[in-house]
Amino acid sequence: MAEILIKNGYVIDPLNGIHGEVMDIGVKNGKIVPPDQVDTRYAKIIDASGCLVVPGGIDVHTHVAGPKVNAGRLLMPQDHYKIGRVIRAIPGIRRSGTGKSVPSVTNIGYKYARMGWTTVMEAASPPLYTRHTHHELDDTPIVDKGVNLLLDSNWFILEYIENKDQVRVNAFVSWILRATKSYAVKLVDPGSAEAWSRGVATQPLNIDDVIPGTSLTPKDILTALANAVRDLGLPHPIHVHANMLGLPGNYVTTMKTVETVANIANKRGLSIHLAHLQFNAYKGDSYATMLSAAEELAKLINNLSGVTFDMGQVVFGGTVTMTADAPWEFYLYHIAKWKWVAKDVEAETAAGIVPYKFRRHVYTNVIQWGIGLELALLVKDASKVVVSTDHPNAGPFTRYPQIIAWLMSKKAREEEMSRLNKKAVKRLSLPAIDREYTFEEFVLSTRVAPAKIIGLEKIKGHLGVGADADIAIYGIDPRTFDPSREYERLVKAIKYAKYTIKDGEIVVKDGKIVKTVYGRTFYVEPPSEPKLESEVLSDVKEKFKEWYSVTLNNYVILNEELRKVEPIRTY
Amino acid sequence: MSKQTLSFLNLSLVTGRTIIQGTLVEDKLTKSYLEHVSTLKLNPADMKKLGLKNGDKVELKGPGGSVIVKVRAAADVSEGVAFIPMGPWAEAVVNPETDSTGMPGFKSIPVTITKSDKPLTTLEEIYGEKEPILNLGQTFEREAKGEIRRITDVVCPFCGSLCDNLVVEVQGNKILKVMNVCSLGLSKFMKSHENRVPYPMIKENGRFVKVPLEKAIDKAAEILVNAKYPVLFGWSSTSLETARLGLELAELVGGIYDHCSTFCHGPTALGFHEVGMPKSSLGQIKNWADVIVYWGSNVSEAHPMHPQRYSYFSVGRHRKGRKDRKLIVVDVRPVPHARHADMFIKVKPGKDYELLVALRLLVQGKELEVPEVAGVPREKVVELAETLMAAKFGVMFVGVGMTMSGAKEKNFEELFLLLHDLNRISKWVVIPMRGHYNVTGADMATIWTTGYPYAVEFSRRYPRYQPGITSTADVFLREEADALLSIASDPLAHFPRKVAEAMKKVPIIAIDPKWNLTVAFSKVVIPSAMAGIECSGTAYRMDEVPLRLKKIVDPPPGILPDEEILRLLINRVKEKLGVKP
Repeated sequence: MAEILIKNGYVIDPLNGIHGEVMDIGVKNGKIVPPDQVDTRYAKIIDASGCLVVPGGIDVHTHVAGPKVNAGRLLMPQDHYKIGRVIRAIPGIRRSGTGKSVPSVTNIGYKYARMGWTTVMEAASPPLYTRHTHHELDDTPIVDKGVNLLLDSNWFILEYIENKDQVRVNAFVSWILRATKSYAVKLVDPGSAEAWSRGVATQPLNIDDVIPGTSLTPKDILTALANAVRDLGLPHPIHVHANMLGLPGNYVTTMKTVETVANIANKRGLSIHLAHLQFNAYKGDSYATMLSAAEELAKLINNLSGVTFDMGQVVFGGTVTMTADAPWEFYLYHIAKWKWVAKDVEAETAAGIVPYKFRRHVYTNVIQWGIGLELALLVKDASKVVVSTDHPNAGPFTRYPQIIAWLMSKKAREEEMSRLNKKAVKRLSLPAIDREYTFEEFVLSTRVAPAKIIGLEKIKGHLGVGADADIAIYGIDPRTFDPSREYERLVKAIKYAKYTIKDGEIVVKDGKIVKTVYGRTFYVEPPSEPKLESEVLSDVKEKFKEWYSVTLNNYVILNEELRKVEPIRTY
Repeated sequence: MSKQTLSFLNLSLVTGRTIIQGTLVEDKLTKSYLEHVSTLKLNPADMKKLGLKNGDKVELKGPGGSVIVKVRAAADVSEGVAFIPMGPWAEAVVNPETDSTGMPGFKSIPVTITKSDKPLTTLEEIYGEKEPILNLGQTFEREAKGEIRRITDVVCPFCGSLCDNLVVEVQGNKILKVMNVCSLGLSKFMKSHENRVPYPMIKENGRFVKVPLEKAIDKAAEILVNAKYPVLFGWSSTSLETARLGLELAELVGGIYDHCSTFCHGPTALGFHEVGMPKSSLGQIKNWADVIVYWGSNVSEAHPMHPQRYSYFSVGRHRKGRKDRKLIVVDVRPVPHARHADMFIKVKPGKDYELLVALRLLVQGKELEVPEVAGVPREKVVELAETLMAAKFGVMFVGVGMTMSGAKEKNFEELFLLLHDLNRISKWVVIPMRGHYNVTGADMATIWTTGYPYAVEFSRRYPRYQPGITSTADVFLREEADALLSIASDPLAHFPRKVAEAMKKVPIIAIDPKWNLTVAFSKVVIPSAMAGIECSGTAYRMDEVPLRLKKIVDPPPGILPDEEILRLLINRVKEKLGVKP
């Protein structure tokens, strides 16, 4: 592998205290090294003068792989065929790809890489089907990846929580993360899948409601799983899609969700990551009169140190919603009146998929659009914020550059607002917000924050010696470039990176894919106590025969099934 | 008093799987297979109308042509319906046209039966061959050595049920016993050493010549590279890892990648594109389902373990066995499992769509004004609708009875909308009864790689999809393909004859463990190991659950898994195209 020397770039690397300095970056054997260790006789020299050099981007919540993503692709052939959405194969360089809202795995890897993103975390995978998730991730070019595992309605976990047996909850969580090669604990509308099995749940499940068939509330599940994350030393805090998502007035539930676990922090001091917070930040009692609760939530998040969120920012246009929140999707199907997919997964979870269009003239959609930006701008510390669209729910990830422009330029926001439903714009706080993200805050909310949330900040999210050589070089110079005025140029510059380097290989040049490599799948290895685990597994094995349609041995995924695994020990 | 017999009878023909056909499907050139698939089953009353007795010959004439076959009376064939197992005789008669859906007409085909004393149509006559069709399959003896071992949690590589609790007893390289398996799977394991393609071959001057693997790979690569529009077909009875590589190969050579969905559950996907569908994993059925419907599915013969592992005989957490469930069977004939049903609905062949519309009307609370729909009396339709609406958790298992006949993909659009409507008052899911053990895997890989499920073409260097245009049957009917790669499949035996005739005109590369009809007509033959028996890999069950296939015994010496063969082929193709590996 050739070494690389990136010369004279304008580097922003907050984790190493570099807030904008011209310096050289050295790359050797896939890692960042001191520039003087690079043998300039044979190295590739990149002249990055006048360019911004930052670590590769990290998406902490995106639906890119697994059964519901694939069902989304099958549902929307019309998403794939348009010429602008297609990548043609160049044998030896890149494979072909299609699609925008539900792209093929090839389009996903390549389009993230073209924007300078190098790591993605699959937002939600059902354990029984995680083998499928890994197949897709393995076929996704370039990016590193990890899996968030759906555990909130798992029958074993529910039973152990009913028995108030935190020790067994921990043992089971430890085992299942290893058995499915997953990275983090995911909760989606906790308990709702259990209600869904009993009939297409008509009443949404609130945080203090009893989950049908149990004596538990979502609060119990949140607490038990947050405890497990802490006890097992997991790097990623519980990743939560809160109850009542999508419903006016739900911000109260969101605040209660945070308060339930605010004191249960993992070893990094993080207690909860709120997924796509925009969808859970609604005030009011109807869609026609809904308002933003960004101020209330921002206040809460500003006062707590262990809470992070990703935006779930709406972008206007057609997209596909997909989530494990099956009841919510059934409800949305009746609003959107077009197509609907639902999936039940035995003893574990569920899912729903509904194509949807966010429209500029629709009051509710404009409020939704405003909320995402308000959250990011009202929360003071950008290292608690991650840029996302909950791809593809609020929009495709390829619109991240546009979102960054909105964050960094008030003018860009005003330009968008001038085209939106006026009544809604009047009801938002956004017009009065002057704050514009700095370049450093751009780096914080797309690199540093997600690296910390997934707990890999030793090797990701920074450009110090020892980091993975995942680097993005953009063709703009923060010293002379004013993003506030030139937001359109900003969008282009981020959309097509000048260079993207992955593990020390140049994969993107001038916004084009020049090489295909395959990244690693990170998974956690939490501690286990052999005797306890053996007891738990024999209990599990017995119940598996009745509850599951596969044997316990066949449920376990082996390392050799994945292309490139990287276990992260948590003890 | 003698009744006047008729000189001919117009019937509706159904072609499909039987247990016997399934157990012999890998031994196509054996006498037992040929006899079984050239025997037409008729209802006893229809036999009487024509004055026929068992063993008599008839001319069976359909849209695709006519053949002389033997008849047999059968209780599971309704009056007005005829049944012949899928295979060369069926394919000689069925409708090759797909109506732009990619799916030929395999069921509910209007045919005329006439008593005949002509000689039985031979296999060679069907394929227009003057010489006997070559059968060079060999049996390779597996060596029993050492101690007897038990391998548990084995996944069966036959049908879409993908049973994963098989126990296989082996001694050295010999399979002694297989437990927890049905006759289809048992046949596959126990006869896995029979009828094998013995070595790589190339056909020169009408004769097969043994060649080293490298030469066969080279010739295959040459055919693919030189072809303008090759079709790469099969992929459904091999591992996911192989199916994935196939997509890479199709992209490299700018050809069509298609698999069994094209003439199986493709219409299900077409319906899904339009409206989506509510679906579920099989264990959910076991745990919750109180109303179970099999529609157009011959489950006892195509998925024998299905009822006890997943549906009406299964024991789950909240539903225990048969007594906790209601079973409804909807079919054109009293298929074997109909005898277990609480309700059997006999629908007129090709009229499922009308019945689905009627059910939707009733579920939506509207009136059904006609006295009969699709041959079903109104009271029964109403009773069926009420049973569906009263379910706590209902499931429809849908087979190719619905994909292959009548309104084809429109059936599914209507079915899914019916279920969407039912879900407002009850809870319903649908699970398609996928035939091959990994057709779902081929589907999944095609979707995540290209966005489309099957019939994907790469001639413009990016995926394009239009069933009816890019589907295998249509491409060959229009004689647009100029090469065929067939892997883990037997397209010449199972596509309509007109399609098979067009396939015979192009160079064929066959990669298969067993000798079959496609192999017999190939230019290049490459033997492969059997996934799930001789090599490992992944397969996806009908409900999309992915399971790991095990390697139980070694393949015959020198024979590689499909996956490795594909890799060799891809590398050779890349060399010829001047592509960096």
